[in-house]
Amino acid sequence: MATIELDNITKMFGKHVAVDGLSLAVPSGSVYGFIGPNGSGKTTTLRMIMNILYPDTGRIRIFGETLTPLLCDRIGYMPEERGLYRRMKVRELLLFLGRLKNGKDITTHVDRWLQRLDLTAWANKKVETLSKGMGQKVQFIATVVSHPELVLLDEPFTGLDPVNTEVIKDAILELQAQGTTVIFSTHDMSMAERMCDFIFMIFKGRKVLDGTLASIQDQYATDTIRIRTRDGAAVLRDLAGVERLKDYGQVQELRLGPNGDPHAILRTIVERTRVESFDIVKPSLHDIFIRIAGAEAQEVEHA
Amino acid sequence: MRKILLFAAREYKAAVKTKGFIIGLLIAPLMMGGSLIAFLLLKDRVDTTDKHVAVIDHTGKITPALVMAAEFRSTKEIFDTTTGRKTKPAYSFESVTPHTTDPTAQRLELSNRVRNGSLYAFVEIGASVVHPKNDDQASRISFYARNAAMDDLRNWVSGPINMRLRSLRLADAGIKESDVKDLFYWVGVEGMGLVTVDEATGKARDAKEADRVSALIVPIIMMLLMLMMIMMTVPGMLHSVMEEKTQRIAEVLLGSISPFEFMAAKLVGGIAVALTSAAVYIVGGTFAVQYMGYSEYVPFIALPWFIVFMLLAIIMFGAYSAAMGATCSEAKDAQALSFPVILPALFPMFIYVPVAREPLSAFSTWISLVPPFTPLLMTLRLSTPGGVPTWQLYAGLGGVLLCTLFFVWVAGRIFRVAILMQGTPPKLSNIIRWAIRG
Repeated sequence: MATIELDNITKMFGKHVAVDGLSLAVPSGSVYGFIGPNGSGKTTTLRMIMNILYPDTGRIRIFGETLTPLLCDRIGYMPEERGLYRRMKVRELLLFLGRLKNGKDITTHVDRWLQRLDLTAWANKKVETLSKGMGQKVQFIATVVSHPELVLLDEPFTGLDPVNTEVIKDAILELQAQGTTVIFSTHDMSMAERMCDFIFMIFKGRKVLDGTLASIQDQYATDTIRIRTRDGAAVLRDLAGVERLKDYGQVQELRLGPNGDPHAILRTIVERTRVESFDIVKPSLHDIFIRIAGAEAQEVEHA
Repeated sequence: MRKILLFAAREYKAAVKTKGFIIGLLIAPLMMGGSLIAFLLLKDRVDTTDKHVAVIDHTGKITPALVMAAEFRSTKEIFDTTTGRKTKPAYSFESVTPHTTDPTAQRLELSNRVRNGSLYAFVEIGASVVHPKNDDQASRISFYARNAAMDDLRNWVSGPINMRLRSLRLADAGIKESDVKDLFYWVGVEGMGLVTVDEATGKARDAKEADRVSALIVPIIMMLLMLMMIMMTVPGMLHSVMEEKTQRIAEVLLGSISPFEFMAAKLVGGIAVALTSAAVYIVGGTFAVQYMGYSEYVPFIALPWFIVFMLLAIIMFGAYSAAMGATCSEAKDAQALSFPVILPALFPMFIYVPVAREPLSAFSTWISLVPPFTPLLMTLRLSTPGGVPTWQLYAGLGGVLLCTLFFVWVAGRIFRVAILMQGTPPKLSNIIRWAIRG
């Protein structure tokens, strides 16, 4: 069963089309990653799912029902632009936000989450005394404290150090294990690859990718060679059948053109230098993202 | 509704638990009543420096009377009888022979003496003042000083001069002043209220003497009290919504409540704050006037209407203020909007004088039925001894209710769009577009 069904939704701001005919089905209990460049429509889509913005056309169904304000109590939402009442105490604030969602057993959930995220000692401190990372964790607790069935997290890892990133990542996976459906938007492609059951990419308001990581990679075929040679990128220029070369220092990636033959390319490279490793790989999510979004500037073009 | 009350309770606690609220509760009445208190405290503070005045008396008959009156005043009126402290300046007069060939040169010379400080002022009494003729320069009395228009001395000299003129005119008519001593006895007209019926006995009850406190001061205090409640609540909503937007709290809240609930909670919280302040002022004020023995002046009959109009005013202006707060992306935007937001509430202060003087006039009636002005002006009129016809109260209430609904509806449309707009300055064209399109 799909927790979220978006059916051909469109949202315009003046003449700008923010979301264009988007359809999407998010299965229950899954972790769904929303990726896309800035301004592509991720936040607008999440706001429409939260009933904060209304679509101009199309239909949104949540938990099998047409979206109403009442259903939003069953959704936890952490917006990208987030803040907290700085003069409230942490526990008091979490109780307030949990009760605002009509949550049950809020006191128990607040105490459990504060303990889970190592914030019990800060429960009676004012929010303004927290560090940025602690504030982010409090924000996360505020999102999940009402025990929602669906959690929407807009850029949940932005501004977090690696330790807190792991803490939040584990908490998200724990929610999934309890049956919660989680959607999060991110610019961290490796995080999306590791955490998400499904990945959805929106670009200029339109859906350009949707599916499991494997199915997405299959769409892009095995057109990438990852190679390590004794002489590095210098000997990999002017190879017939290679469209682009990306130099990572120790390793280089070659993207094959339509007529690129890995065997012929390998023969040419062996004639030039000593090959230390040679893999035909599927493109990473990062590569796919860049191919679609067109940010090619960092790539080394053919000489 | 539960969410609105929950959020409103947070707003209320956040507002009343601050030092600013407590200080505001004390400072607001001081600010509002400050000028009145200052006037009462300073009204007896006058310059006691003696004032010397030259008199060009073209009749030659008036100056001695002026000198005598000034001497009498100096012995009887300028010292406090209990403490002996000098409380007023002494006046003294010197007679100057009129210059017949060049009177302008003489006036210039005396003006220069005023400028160099050897004289305070000079008075010129025309030759024909005893039996004046229309438009005759010689029939005038002129007072020359640095600030003649507002001078107490000018008012004072007119008394002895006219007393002397009256005596001269009686003498010229061959009438003894002692024979007509009642001729100049002035009988004032006392202001009285209307005769009423005592509900307990059913008998007619004597009318009460009308006084300025009931007629003017009490209504103005009631109006100022309501303005104070509005000022303590409405601008705060602008800043609190702006803070929630700029500190990125608004979208977190919009994940749990609708924009309408958000704004409604702000208004309910604001009303609770205003009711708290009103309770403090009304209860405190009632005890204070009872303690001082002035409870008869409290217009208890106007209090229920006062509360109703105050609540509606706060909802009406509060909705407008919250919507404007939602359009601000930074503190300076809110600063720029603070005055325009409060202007509709302040406008009655510019026109209350004619309304207070004639509360039942056609002007007072129609201006108090203009919905944004109704709460303050109807309270002012209702608190006067004559009250307001009942139909006007209900007409005013209906107008304010409709206007409040309209304000809330428009404000809700602006609020819903603006609260998520970061970095867009509050341009009038944007605000109108959001209000129309929602």
